Amino acid sequence: MSFINKTGWSMAMLFAVSLGFSGLMQTTEVQAAADAADDATAKAKSKSTADHSKFKELDVNFKSGPEVTKACIGCHTEAAKQLHTTKHWKWDYINPDTNQHLGKNNVINNFCTSVPSNYKFCTACHIGYGWEDDKFDFTAEEKVDCVVCHDTTGKYKKLPGLAGHPNYETIEWPPHSGKFRPPTDLKTIAQNVGKTSRATCGACHFRGGGGDAVKHGDLDTSLTNPKKHLDVHMDAEGLNFSCSKCHTADAHEVAGSRYQPTAKEDKGRLIPGSLDERNTATCVACHDNAPHKGSLSKMNEHTDKLACQVCHIPAYARGNQFTKMTWDWSTGGKVDEQGQPIKIKGSDGKVKYDSKKGDFTHDRYVVPEYQWFNGEVKWTLVDDTFDPDQILKINSFTGSADDGKSRVWPTKVFRGKQMYDKVNNKLVVTSLSDDPDSALWKNFDHKKAVEYGMKYVGKEFSGEVGFIETEMSWPITHMVAPKDDAVDCHQCHKENGRLAGIDGLYIPGANNTPLMDKLGLAIAFLTLIGVLFHGALRYIMHKRGG
Amino acid sequence: MLKAVVGFIAGVIFVGVVGFNMADTMMLREVESPYGVEETAARIQRNIQGLSDNGWALSGLRNPAKAVANAGVNVPPVLLIEACSTKYSAPMLKDDDSRILSILMPCTITVYKKDDGKTYIGLMNSGLMGKMFGVGDIMAKVQEDQYKFVQFDDSKPAPPLIRQRAGGGGAGGGQSDDGC
Repeated sequence: MSFINKTGWSMAMLFAVSLGFSGLMQTTEVQAAADAADDATAKAKSKSTADHSKFKELDVNFKSGPEVTKACIGCHTEAAKQLHTTKHWKWDYINPDTNQHLGKNNVINNFCTSVPSNYKFCTACHIGYGWEDDKFDFTAEEKVDCVVCHDTTGKYKKLPGLAGHPNYETIEWPPHSGKFRPPTDLKTIAQNVGKTSRATCGACHFRGGGGDAVKHGDLDTSLTNPKKHLDVHMDAEGLNFSCSKCHTADAHEVAGSRYQPTAKEDKGRLIPGSLDERNTATCVACHDNAPHKGSLSKMNEHTDKLACQVCHIPAYARGNQFTKMTWDWSTGGKVDEQGQPIKIKGSDGKVKYDSKKGDFTHDRYVVPEYQWFNGEVKWTLVDDTFDPDQILKINSFTGSADDGKSRVWPTKVFRGKQMYDKVNNKLVVTSLSDDPDSALWKNFDHKKAVEYGMKYVGKEFSGEVGFIETEMSWPITHMVAPKDDAVDCHQCHKENGRLAGIDGLYIPGANNTPLMDKLGLAIAFLTLIGVLFHGALRYIMHKRGG
Repeated sequence: MLKAVVGFIAGVIFVGVVGFNMADTMMLREVESPYGVEETAARIQRNIQGLSDNGWALSGLRNPAKAVANAGVNVPPVLLIEACSTKYSAPMLKDDDSRILSILMPCTITVYKKDDGKTYIGLMNSGLMGKMFGVGDIMAKVQEDQYKFVQFDDSKPAPPLIRQRAGGGGAGGGQSDDGC
């Protein structure tokens, strides 16, 4: 193990064990999906032109992940170089429209807040090996982790605290569970590589925010092997889309972005093979802008203003997993009578209080919040100042009814209360996990943790920690329901319907114009008078024998 | 005379139409809950257990939405809490004339989410049902207790949801929450 020496390994083991923390398991294994993954694997393998188990280069008892990678790039000579240019590798991105310096390594969120100073923990979801501090070598080809995306066995697992490595020795996992995970069988995994799958992408993306269903709301392990009602495209017994069906890859750069999403696509369907470099991960790319036929064609009049997802995703977290809705860091640090940290579960069985992290709430089958969105997201970064008396938007979706670029989108708005610099009114980087002395999850000292985190990234810190209420928006775009389960007309076309409060929309049944209302009443009243008058006249004429 | 008869018939029809249209709200009562589905159900369960002096015991928790979802249909969460009181059920079960009312047992309270994203509690109007079937006195007490089931004490922490059969009280059912 050239990249982790014995001491480092022992420390990593100790760290992982000392965490005592199963909620934040970001793993590449999705046990519940193993069978489905196996099935998918079998199908995928049957179409492959190469059986990797027959390659002598892979018939090796690999001791580490990088050894596997060296074998991979022995044939796939350009793969690592391609990966080196991607967001998945760099966790760094400059938005060309806003010039904001983004990427996972730069933004602050209201979940676990920040990556720097917590690399060993966070990089369990990096497609590399050994990113344990700010000195990681981004040019090393052997540090690219090929199998995390291409594993088909479901047995490859990167554990938090190991800086992106799987375990090479027996490890107790989850910590203090009494269960022991044997060393990763790298040879078997390397000999069974294949196409990416919902299970491999989901290993990180279903567990964003530190656990199953936590972050996105529309991505969780229920999508590993979903039924049609949960997602009409990923239906394991139907269309069975893998993530890459929409999120196509070009030289390993995967289409679709949370930093620069496509909110409105006016150009219509994307023809396969076309040189158009538009985002393939949109509804319009396949379904066009007027997808409703026959008696439903009236629905096409909605597509100019409403994202398809507004109607076709009636709720998120529909797969029986609870998604996290709020996180209050300010209440962390409580201990029991013995001075030990505590965890309290709620009625839903989810942890609702953890000394390390504070209070949470969860929910399932959540009706989205709707907002105009033109694809531009403005982030509040560590150098930005703000008004602490207002709720801080970690990311703001820009857009309006009249800019011609926006549509109304369903979103999950995650609400938090998190650490900030009370004097400078700025967000902060917080040491949570790696550093034994300052890490918040070890000593519950917010000031010490922030001091270390800010020093780590070379930023000024006043020394005073406050807690600011924050909101973070996530576009909802997965868990597409079958058309029969789309949002009914009356859910919007009524008073206080789903889209109540969205400016710039006229929704018959929901909106009213006072003048029009008075005019309608007047017409109805006059009609009644007319009928009565006519009836009276006929009655009188009849009496007179006319 | 004719006018009086016509007026009487018109009155009967009017009352009939109004009664028909109001029947659902008279027979059933819906209240909004400040909590999520699971927490609401758990708090109701705790309230039911708190009235054990009146013979109340949990007899089951059902999750009909799960069974529907397994059949491939999207439905918001629904939990049915079943409870029974031997104190109230015994006299009804003892009498030949009222034994048929066992069809309404156990007492069921439903907790569900609607498309507005809010959680609601559904209760039967036990008092009215009792009057209709000649057991008004007993069912009036049941209704009184039912209202206590949905009075929440916000100062108390959320209890865990009791998913398994609680035992006692014995109105049958009592399965786990994995379907009807």
